[in-house]
Amino acid sequence: MKRIARLACMAMVVLWWLSCAPETTEDPFTYNPTPYAFDVPAWFPPMEIPAGNPTTVQGVKLGRMLFYDTALHPTGETSCAGCHIQQQSFSSAASVLPHINLAWNTAFLWDASVQGPLESIMLFEVEKFFKTDRSRLQNHPEYPRLFYEAFGTKVITNELIAKALAQWERTMVSGHSVRDMAVWADIGLFLTDEEVDGALIYYTEKGDCFHCHGGILYTDNLVHNNGLDAVPPLPGYGAVSGQDSDYGKFKTPTLRNITLTAPYMHDGRYQTLEEVIDFYSEGVKNSPTIDPLMKKVHLGGVHLSVKEKSDLLAFLKTLVDTSFIHDPNLKTPF
Amino acid sequence: MKQLKCFLCGSVLAGALFSLACHKDNNGSVTILFDHRVGAEPLELLAIKYHAQAGHLYSVERLKYYISNFALHREDGQAIRAAAPHYREVGVEETATLLLPDVPDGRYTSLSFIIGLDSATNKPNGLPQTVQNINMEWPIPGEEGYHYMKFEGKYDSMGSGVVKSFNVHTGATNNHPYYVEVSLPLTHLTIDKDSWSVQLVMDLNEWFQNPHTYDFEQFGPGIMANEAAQQMLHENGASLFSVADMQKQ
Repeated sequence: MKRIARLACMAMVVLWWLSCAPETTEDPFTYNPTPYAFDVPAWFPPMEIPAGNPTTVQGVKLGRMLFYDTALHPTGETSCAGCHIQQQSFSSAASVLPHINLAWNTAFLWDASVQGPLESIMLFEVEKFFKTDRSRLQNHPEYPRLFYEAFGTKVITNELIAKALAQWERTMVSGHSVRDMAVWADIGLFLTDEEVDGALIYYTEKGDCFHCHGGILYTDNLVHNNGLDAVPPLPGYGAVSGQDSDYGKFKTPTLRNITLTAPYMHDGRYQTLEEVIDFYSEGVKNSPTIDPLMKKVHLGGVHLSVKEKSDLLAFLKTLVDTSFIHDPNLKTPF
Repeated sequence: MKQLKCFLCGSVLAGALFSLACHKDNNGSVTILFDHRVGAEPLELLAIKYHAQAGHLYSVERLKYYISNFALHREDGQAIRAAAPHYREVGVEETATLLLPDVPDGRYTSLSFIIGLDSATNKPNGLPQTVQNINMEWPIPGEEGYHYMKFEGKYDSMGSGVVKSFNVHTGATNNHPYYVEVSLPLTHLTIDKDSWSVQLVMDLNEWFQNPHTYDFEQFGPGIMANEAAQQMLHENGASLFSVADMQKQ
């Protein structure tokens, strides 16, 4: 009898322990965001990241998947990567601006019609460009879990899609061009005489490229009328500001990886860099909104010799970062 | 009892030290506002309507510049200095003011500053590598530093109807620093643990007229390597600024 009573007591203790033990039902969702460690060259400006969207390993992973997945498109026809191709410095023949170093941009698209942090342009892409059908993501076997891991919620919103894409885009840093290595990295790499002569044209008022395409980012992030047309056929930023004085102004693209980002200009009218250099040398046209920085407009351009054009082209080629276009961390995850 | 005395003494001492440490909080502050006009007119961007002494009507499209080594001078000789160079860009309101947050009591008789950067700062990476600063770089090989000022616009050449551009870009050229030193008297700035604002106004016409007549036609649209133009602007720059207003907040 004593033995039965003892067993009964033990059984009750076990039952009590089981009833008090935490539920062991496995939750497929875990939210434990890990801060993302950026690999930004020391010669770049500090990256300003909005407090409301800290970059995490999980957010970057999600953004990368969304970037390469056709799920953002309402009928799955294309993805961000359809127009922004890594081998072309995340630009393409569609004459889109390259998606590199956007973390330091505050104005987006050729007409600078979207301004603010990266989250602003990514929200534009989701809502206005793709017109994303969120149910495609919400009903997807993977995405609700990935959103939970990145943001702590399974409810997918346009804002969260934009945040994930912005986190991913901030990792697309291109800063190891030949010129970076020669100037900043102190590894004993030197430019050739031709490239140095080209730099003299670029960085003086002879060619005067640097006033718009200057600094470590090779863009001033402003809009300019660079004299493509005597009567600009498109309003550019003028349609955004509503001011006649902004008619025909377009955003300065970065010249990093410039040999990879043909065609050139906002309308893609030039197929080669030689054509672009010829334009700035002899083809600049005056118009009421021409930028004051187009200093030789009355002469039709800066008038470079054949040798000077060749030197300038050689210098432009030093702005290419081949490690960036082969970076495995930027390739498709699929 | 002895322990209590020690505790009280310690508390008093700590309080005194704390009070001394916080003494700076009892100082005043001065906000400097950098404003602009052209002759007697307020600055309006883009309109070709201002009269340069050389005879041209001109407009202002962009104006960006550095103020550095800013100091308020007290009558006893003490100088209160701004911590860092100040970047001013017309149209960007957050650059309009420079705050001196901790100005000791006393009567201040003058202020001084540099338009541009001194030689210790005007060198590669002399300023923090911000997007703002890298867009002001002066990258001419062998002369790397920063533009002191980018003042850009257009002009109607002698009323002919032919509109051309000018780019008054100042900076160090051929080892000449060319920065502009400014000193202005203050008449009644007495700090008594209070906050003041001082409005400084740059008359853009002064770049082109006092003491020398600067002619856009003479120097052309790009002057970065033009020593004569830089020297003239260096000399004209001394009379640009005036104290327009001072207010106790």
